[in-house]
Amino acid sequence: MSKEKKFYLTTEGLKRIKKEYEIFKKLRLAKTNGGEAPKIWESEDLNPEYLSFQEDLSFLETKIADLENILKNAKLISRPSKRKQNVVDLGATVTAEIDGETDEFTIVGTLEADPSNNKISNESPIGQCLMGKKVGETVVVKIPPKNPIVNHSCKITKIKYNRI
Amino acid sequence: MRYVKEFEVNMRELSQKEKVLFKKLVSATKLVAPLYSKQKNNKYPGADFYPHDANKEEIKEAAKNNPAILDPYTFVERDKSGKLIAVPYHLKFKKELKKISQLLKEAASLSSDKKLKVYLLSRAEALTTDNYDKSNILWLKTENSKIGCIIGPFDRYIDKLFFKKRAYMAWIGILDEKRTKEAKEIEALVLSSKRKYLPGAKKAEIAGVKVRLENTAIFSGLIADFMFVGNNLPSSGDLSLIKKYGTLFTVFNPVLKFRFEKWIFPIFRAIFGKNIQKKYSKKELYRAFVRSVILHEICHSLMRYEDSVTRLQEYFPFFDELYTDILGVKSYGFILLKDAITQKELETLLLVFVCRNLHWLHSVSTHPHLIHYATGGAISLNFLLEGGALKKENGIFRPNLQKLFICLDQLSHILDYYVALGNYNESKEFIKKYGQFNSFKKYFAPKLREIKKT
Repeated sequence: MSKEKKFYLTTEGLKRIKKEYEIFKKLRLAKTNGGEAPKIWESEDLNPEYLSFQEDLSFLETKIADLENILKNAKLISRPSKRKQNVVDLGATVTAEIDGETDEFTIVGTLEADPSNNKISNESPIGQCLMGKKVGETVVVKIPPKNPIVNHSCKITKIKYNRI
Repeated sequence: MRYVKEFEVNMRELSQKEKVLFKKLVSATKLVAPLYSKQKNNKYPGADFYPHDANKEEIKEAAKNNPAILDPYTFVERDKSGKLIAVPYHLKFKKELKKISQLLKEAASLSSDKKLKVYLLSRAEALTTDNYDKSNILWLKTENSKIGCIIGPFDRYIDKLFFKKRAYMAWIGILDEKRTKEAKEIEALVLSSKRKYLPGAKKAEIAGVKVRLENTAIFSGLIADFMFVGNNLPSSGDLSLIKKYGTLFTVFNPVLKFRFEKWIFPIFRAIFGKNIQKKYSKKELYRAFVRSVILHEICHSLMRYEDSVTRLQEYFPFFDELYTDILGVKSYGFILLKDAITQKELETLLLVFVCRNLHWLHSVSTHPHLIHYATGGAISLNFLLEGGALKKENGIFRPNLQKLFICLDQLSHILDYYVALGNYNESKEFIKKYGQFNSFKKYFAPKLREIKKT
């Protein structure tokens, strides 16, 4: 039996997903009026209104199923104990020197990743390499791992955990 | 009309009043072309900014007593006694600038966009005084205006003697909101990290870079002559201004499309084999091309030093353009680490980088103003060939993308030295040694012969 994927979320992120879930459920209810497609649209011949209705409904059903899966497998990112705050984990804001450049970003779950706003997924190449590392440690990020085109060394200079 | 280029543009987003405003700006733009005609002259390094019989030493000597001689907005002429004097642009072109200024004021009166209105009025005045700082600052505030307008003397490319005199240009366009939003995201990614500067380098911190993609309606003057895909203003010559207020770079959609269809894609198909062509679609290549242009413009703000132009003089633009291009590629590598792009997107960008440099080299014989870019292209290609990043096999070129990225990384460190600390003589030597076109002529030119030059 395959292990179900975990979705790491901040408190804010979880709130957002829950809100989105409720909105899509309401949309589905409004679309179907509590039932199925309006009978008037159903006929032996496929008609554009019915097809459009089915497409919209299919989209909503897929979206709702995705969100239900996320909520079922959501894991809240919490601030680690003080003893563990010198190690990179989800929620950490890391300052690193990457080949002559200094960068600062926060490690989050993939759903909340937003690189242009300095939120990096734990599953990104650099996120994966930094997880579990401490201040002063250097990691080498290679993409692809074999015969890398990009090969950067990354030294952790600071780790902090803000309120999540 | 010479030095005017018009493009098809959809004006459905403009109200009736805005359409009238737009037309007035287009009329003003067209009037800039004759001013540029009186500045440009490919026969002389100093174009028509200086007397053709005046050499660098004489001009420098005259400037000691009269600094206006090397002012960005003056022509240098001889008076009746043969002495060098400075004639301000606003006096030389008084009649023409009055007409342009009037059209800007009329356009301003029709604008409900306050920032655009204030800018147009200020620029109308600046044209008649040659004091552009205030209107440059106001122009920066129009980054989100539906109608974009640049008009005046800005870039220094045609002054190959001192790289000081500003040439007239103008463009008008309509904001492309969707692509501008995407560009801002890339900008945020690139600018999120802080660079380290070489010890002893006099870095110039730039306030910030704004980005804007436009559906351009018209080019006039230098920009119509050079047909850049993008332009970053205020000019690097206005360093104190850009340190405090940043820059705004405008990318021109119609030129992007033209350059890609006419040059980049045909070069890609001519140089690389079928297996490479199958792997990277036209759509992916176009996207990479647009990204490379945006990255280039963003990275112009990353490598500003207080004294680069003073140290390198006319060699500055050679280093400026190449280093900026390579920094763009490197930045894309950093973005890949963060999963903001895919590995394939980086690969496509690397291939487009090669094609862009080949385009400069292929075009420079008919467009001599591309010499800065072409020499940069030659430097890149010489490094890539030497480093084994490009190998010729059975008439086509096989790229080793790993070596390509490494070579460009190595070259970026070398260029960083010259831009940050290098002096005039050593820069000259570097260009002389690595900027030769021989490899291009031997290996690539035959393959590109069939691509028609325009």
